[in-house]
Amino acid sequence: MLSNVYTIRPWLLVITLISGITLLSQHVLAEDDLDDDDPPPDYVLRGDGKCTVCHDENSDRPILGIGKTKHGTVADHRTPTCTSCHGEGNNHVDSPDKALMPERTFGKNSRNPVEERNAACLACHQGGKRMHWAGSLHANRDTACTACHQIHTEQDKVRNRITQAEVCFNCHKELRTLINRPSRHPIREGKVICSDCHNPHGSAGPSNMVRDNVNDTCFTCHMEKRGPFVYNHPPAQENCAICHNPHGTTAPNLLRSRSPFLCQECHEPNTHQGSSGTLTGSYARNTLARGCLNCHTQVHGSNNHENVRNESMFQR
Amino acid sequence: MNIRILKDKFPQSIIAVTLVLINAPAWSSDHDPIKELTKPKSTVNFGAGYLFNDNARFGQYTGLRNEGPYGIFNVDIVRRNDETGTWLKLLGRNLGLQNRDVRFEHNKQGNWGYFIDYSQTPRYEPFTVNTAVTGIGTADVHVPTSPTSGDPAQLKTERQSIGFGYNKFLPGNLEFQLHFRNEDKDGARLFGRGNRLGAPGPRAVGGFEFIPEPINSTIRQFGASLDYVGKQLQLSGGYYGTMYNNKNSVLNVTGGSDVGGIYAPSAFSPIALAPDNQSHQAFLAGGYNFTPSTRGTFKAAYTRATQTDSFSPTLFSAPGVGANLGGRIDTALLQAGLTARPLAKLSINTNFRFEDRDDKTPVLLYNPMATLLDLNGNSWHGFNNPRSFRTITSKFEASYALPKDFRLIGSIDHDHRDRGGFATNTSHRHRTDEISYRAELRRSLSETITGTIAYIHSDRFGSSFFTNTTGTGDPFFNLIAPFNLADRARDKIRLMANWDPIESLSLQLAIDESRDNYGHRAGSDLGLRKGSARNYSLDATYTFSEAWQATAWFSRNETHIDQTSRNPITDNGFREVWNANLQDIGTSFGLDINGKPTDKLETGASLLYSDFTNKFNQKVILDPQINTVPNISTQYGSLRLHAKYEMRKNLGLRLDYILDHFKTNEWTWNWRYTDGTKLTQDTNQMVSFVFLSAFYSWQ
Repeated sequence: MLSNVYTIRPWLLVITLISGITLLSQHVLAEDDLDDDDPPPDYVLRGDGKCTVCHDENSDRPILGIGKTKHGTVADHRTPTCTSCHGEGNNHVDSPDKALMPERTFGKNSRNPVEERNAACLACHQGGKRMHWAGSLHANRDTACTACHQIHTEQDKVRNRITQAEVCFNCHKELRTLINRPSRHPIREGKVICSDCHNPHGSAGPSNMVRDNVNDTCFTCHMEKRGPFVYNHPPAQENCAICHNPHGTTAPNLLRSRSPFLCQECHEPNTHQGSSGTLTGSYARNTLARGCLNCHTQVHGSNNHENVRNESMFQR
Repeated sequence: MNIRILKDKFPQSIIAVTLVLINAPAWSSDHDPIKELTKPKSTVNFGAGYLFNDNARFGQYTGLRNEGPYGIFNVDIVRRNDETGTWLKLLGRNLGLQNRDVRFEHNKQGNWGYFIDYSQTPRYEPFTVNTAVTGIGTADVHVPTSPTSGDPAQLKTERQSIGFGYNKFLPGNLEFQLHFRNEDKDGARLFGRGNRLGAPGPRAVGGFEFIPEPINSTIRQFGASLDYVGKQLQLSGGYYGTMYNNKNSVLNVTGGSDVGGIYAPSAFSPIALAPDNQSHQAFLAGGYNFTPSTRGTFKAAYTRATQTDSFSPTLFSAPGVGANLGGRIDTALLQAGLTARPLAKLSINTNFRFEDRDDKTPVLLYNPMATLLDLNGNSWHGFNNPRSFRTITSKFEASYALPKDFRLIGSIDHDHRDRGGFATNTSHRHRTDEISYRAELRRSLSETITGTIAYIHSDRFGSSFFTNTTGTGDPFFNLIAPFNLADRARDKIRLMANWDPIESLSLQLAIDESRDNYGHRAGSDLGLRKGSARNYSLDATYTFSEAWQATAWFSRNETHIDQTSRNPITDNGFREVWNANLQDIGTSFGLDINGKPTDKLETGASLLYSDFTNKFNQKVILDPQINTVPNISTQYGSLRLHAKYEMRKNLGLRLDYILDHFKTNEWTWNWRYTDGTKLTQDTNQMVSFVFLSAFYSWQ
């Protein structure tokens, strides 16, 4: 472990370097402008010349980037044209100052109902994992496909494991802070991402789970908890989220609250089960370290026949 | 990780594949601007960084834990043959670190494709274990017989997964898909054994020993499906299978304390580990567009999950019990939904879901000793306890368009659960029903302000609780209605508003608050009483210019639980009723600024700060004495700076700096196991990571 002096030096180093690069760059000659010739009729999609006349890289709404994407792979006969999604745009092309918009637009000022905008996407993308879009939570909340997806860029932020959560947090703000709690999944590192557990396009499970229920989704990574065991802990069999909050907690192991308080939400105060939280005395064993799990270690269930005294002890 | 480890672990094959794929010509000086804008780009990013300060939290899932140099290597290679629509992609992320990902894809768009990927995820226990226990990571652990100080050890698990997938489009709008994933998990995690060393009483001490659990298991998932996608009808049918295999079935522990005689923790060996299990599912899902505005969807699935792992011969086995549990759970799922717009302004949405999880595991007497009287004078039955669940959820929602872009939505949800099983020492009821009503007013399509306000009320109720009884049929305590079974009334309000007061400024406000009231067992006031949750956030995005944008946000989350229990018997023979008012408060803010001061320079800063506080607020209802538990407060802060400078259009440098701070007064591990093991953590961790990398791109 280094002393605190090392925590200051990188600050100075980085700020100096960034400042230096910024200042230096002011003196760098500007790049040569790209040729400003009129583009050929079609650059990417069939018939796109009418659009790319204006919507080139200098436009407020550049569209050529679609050529880098699957939508721009014209060797695939299924790829769309501009009008497949935006509808006819002759009025837009002909109107002075382009005051009239194309038949269908997708920006935040679009006047097309969300359902109509999404219909353009669903015309091709309504099978497979998007089968259950209609009636899903997002569909019912008027979520436009383009609220999450960027169509004309090579890197769609929501399909990148590192940046996906930022897109989801635009609406799911209560989760934005949970992922930074001391007990968490590696969401910040992109090793577990929202779509590993949820299908935002809808599913047959609750809360858009990728599998048919909460537990089956958790078991895709935590299959050792599935059992069934000789002695099952009923809530663990019913729904992992009874005890855990997978988005992050301050209690260890993603538990909603700490021992003994969490356990006392179900268990009878027979003897020690009812002890209040304490850091001293013999009942500190219910609060410190793993709390109740200091003894009842097999809380998800046990395949050992011999549990001392009764079948709910989960001690071995 | 140091450079030597990096060298040992770095997959040489990745370098080889990368070099093969980088055979495209460099970005020539006479580059084609149209090609630049319309053809996929490949990028390689490599460099080195230095981590200042050892840490446990910052590098928990990346391996960036020990001060020293680290390698930076990322590749994103994309090649497309425009004539055939064939893509070749290689994505390598964090190749110089322990949390590396590699994915190789090759596909002819609209025809066939396959991928192979690899992912490595470490997880370091954020605590340092000082222990004399030996055999960590194995199924044979030895514990000192008397308290012994030990040496520092680091518990760690690591997942390594390899996946493969294939798809092929077939005539008749069909697509065949195949997938397989194998994930190995190795290492050791925190575990233990313990017991009270004697008869129940206010001063009965316990014996607790640190027993690291060996993790050496494999998870496999595999499946195949055949999809049909037509204009009106879409279908997907197939198979999904999973398998769990644990290399260790029991944990054998030698040594340990025999203090406490028959109660001593040393009696707890062997300890069962998670058994092998598997599942197999056949499914058919589909959707049908009856009209352009009417669509039906469904899914039907049948799953058989089994657990037939042989009992270890070292475990106690009761007479009449077979060689394995014979565990079997059959689950039938049927889901159907319909959305329609019967009137121009009216949309409706209905959904029905039936899931029957039938646990068909045979019920046998596994523990005859349970029928003997315990220290409290009770006896139990000793049978295994399979539990079946049947869930029926149904929903009806109607949405009506009002003038001025307003929309009124109303919905009713019904959640019905039937649970099998019976009550012993924890309360149980077979049936619960929860009905939720939602009213919502939403405004969308406005160019300046959009938003929604919703109110939800739900009631949960159910069948009568069973009487908890011991093995002899005598009543046990019947005081607590469990959290997931108790009657509950919930009121929730949700508000979300987006406002763009000027073109360059966007504001977003989100507020939700819910309040719960819980019912109790008859004649009892113990258990959960009330709960509440409150979240509010304010986000602002400001565009200074085409080149500069900033986002600032603030969030606060508060949850509160009011619950009551009853202390164990004290010296004066009095059992006091006590109450805990548990509060969990999180306050966070963030600031992001990104800009492009010149054509060649991009820069950005991101600041995040969070404060999390847990309050326990215990008080006694009938007696003045009560224990106190200090609040736990944790602060987390992160500052990230970056600057990216393009020396040429396709060549440049990137400098990154991360300052990460974690601070806590967490008291959980102010504790020593009776074998002498002690866990410690650095409560104030300040880490700096600076790295410089070059990037090179080509088309």
